Amino acid sequence: MSQLDPTLVTAVLAGLERAVNAALDLDPGAGKALAGLEGKCFALACTAPAVSVYLLPGRDGLSLRGWYDGPITTRVRGAASDFAELASADDPAATLINGSLQLEGDSGALIQLQQIIAGLELDWEAPLVEVLGDVAGHQLAVFLRASFSTGREASLSLRRQLEEYLHEEGRLAPSRQEVEDFYRDLQALQQRVERLQSRLGRLRRRTQQGKHS
Amino acid sequence: MSDKRTTHFGYREVESEAKAGLVANVFHSVAARYDLMNDLMSGGVHRLWKRFTIELSGVRPGHRVLDIAGGTGDLASKFSRLVGETGSVVLADINESMLRVGRDKLIDHGVQGNLEYVQADAQALPFPDDHFDCVSIAFGLRNVTDKDQALREMLRVLRPGGRLLVLEFSKPGNELLGKAYDQYSFRVLPLMGKLVAGDSDSYQYLAESIRMHPDQETLLGMLEDAGFVNCEYHNLTGGVVALHRGFKA
Repeated sequence: MSQLDPTLVTAVLAGLERAVNAALDLDPGAGKALAGLEGKCFALACTAPAVSVYLLPGRDGLSLRGWYDGPITTRVRGAASDFAELASADDPAATLINGSLQLEGDSGALIQLQQIIAGLELDWEAPLVEVLGDVAGHQLAVFLRASFSTGREASLSLRRQLEEYLHEEGRLAPSRQEVEDFYRDLQALQQRVERLQSRLGRLRRRTQQGKHS
Repeated sequence: MSDKRTTHFGYREVESEAKAGLVANVFHSVAARYDLMNDLMSGGVHRLWKRFTIELSGVRPGHRVLDIAGGTGDLASKFSRLVGETGSVVLADINESMLRVGRDKLIDHGVQGNLEYVQADAQALPFPDDHFDCVSIAFGLRNVTDKDQALREMLRVLRPGGRLLVLEFSKPGNELLGKAYDQYSFRVLPLMGKLVAGDSDSYQYLAESIRMHPDQETLLGMLEDAGFVNCEYHNLTGGVVALHRGFKA
C-alpha cells in the first residue's frame, strides 16, 4: 500500500497526465505510435518511498494511475535513489542493465514507450508546481526533465550497444562495411555473369552460322 | 404507544419511513447546483477522490457497472469510457431530480450508447442476481436508511469476483485536522450553501450526516457482515474521505 496520501499521488499523476496529453495533442505522430501500445501496462514501482505508477498508453493518449489490477507488460522496480541514479547516469542504458533496478517483462515495449515520451516537448513544471507548490514541484520537474532528456541519450546509447553486440561479439549480423563489400562483390559477379552470358550467346550464334555455311 | 423504528436524519432522530422523504427533499433542493457546490466545498478535490475510485475499480472493456446514487454522473461517465461499446453502465439514483440533472449533463457531454438511467432504491435494487462486475456508490451510502440491507443488495447483484466500491466521508485520523474539518463543516459549509445554492439547511444536514456516518473500521465490519470478502479501505485526504472495497466470493 502506498505510504503517501492517495489524494496527493492522484493529484500529481493527474497533473502529469495532463502535461503528457497536452504535448501529445501537438504531436499526432507520437499519438499514433502510442496507440500502437494500447492494451499494455508499464509499472514503475518505487520501493522507498513506496509508490507505484502505472502507465497505460492508448488511443486517447497516456493514462497515469496509482493503482492497476490487470496484467503488467513491463515492470521496473527499485528505490527512488536507483531511479535518480538512472536519471543522472552518463550511460542510462548500462545503468538500467547493470544497476540496482529490477526489470521484468517486455523491455522492447518499454523502450518504445520511452522513445515516444522522450520525443515530446513536455512542460513538466507547470502542473507539478500547481499541485506541490514552487519548491517541491520545481525539484520534481528537474528530476523528470533529467530523466527524459537522459532517456533520449539512453535510447541512442542502447541502440549503439546493441549494434556493437550484434556485429562484434555475437557475430549475429554483419557490419555496414562488410555488407557494402558483399554487395560490391555481388554486383561485380553479376556483371561478369552477364558478360559471360553475352559471350556464350555470340559463340552460339557463330557456331550455328558455321554449320549453315 | 408507537413501536415504529427510528433512524437518524443528520442529528435528528426520525421514523425510519420518513428518512427517505427527508433526504429526497434535500437532494431535490440541491440538484441543480450540486456539481458547483461539490467543487466549491472540496476545492475540486472530489474529482481526485473519484479518480482514485476509478483506479481501484479495475473496470475494463466489456464490463457491466452499476453506479448507485450516481447523482450527476461523474463516475458513470468515466465508467462509460472504460467499458467501451461492449460493456454497459447503469446510473441509478433514488432521486428523480438528481437523475434528471445527471442524464442531461451526460447527454450534453456526448456520453451515451452504453449508459442506462434507472430510478432505484439501493435497499431494493431492480436487477438480477450475479449481474454486475462492479458496483459503486459515492457519497450516497450515508443517506440510505438501512445501510446493511443496501450492502446485502449490492452483494446480491454482483457477480462472483465482482467488487463493491464505497466512497464516503469518514473520520480524519489526525485530531487537529478533525477539529479544523469540524469548523469548516459546521461554519463554512452551511454559509456556502446559503450563498450559492440558497439553501443552508441542506448543507447543515450534509455536515451532520457525515458525523453520523460509520467510521472507517465500522463500515469495514459492515461490509464483512454483509458477506463481502477481502475488504479493505484507503484513507483519502487524511481520512476526511475513505474508499472501502470488498469482493463477492
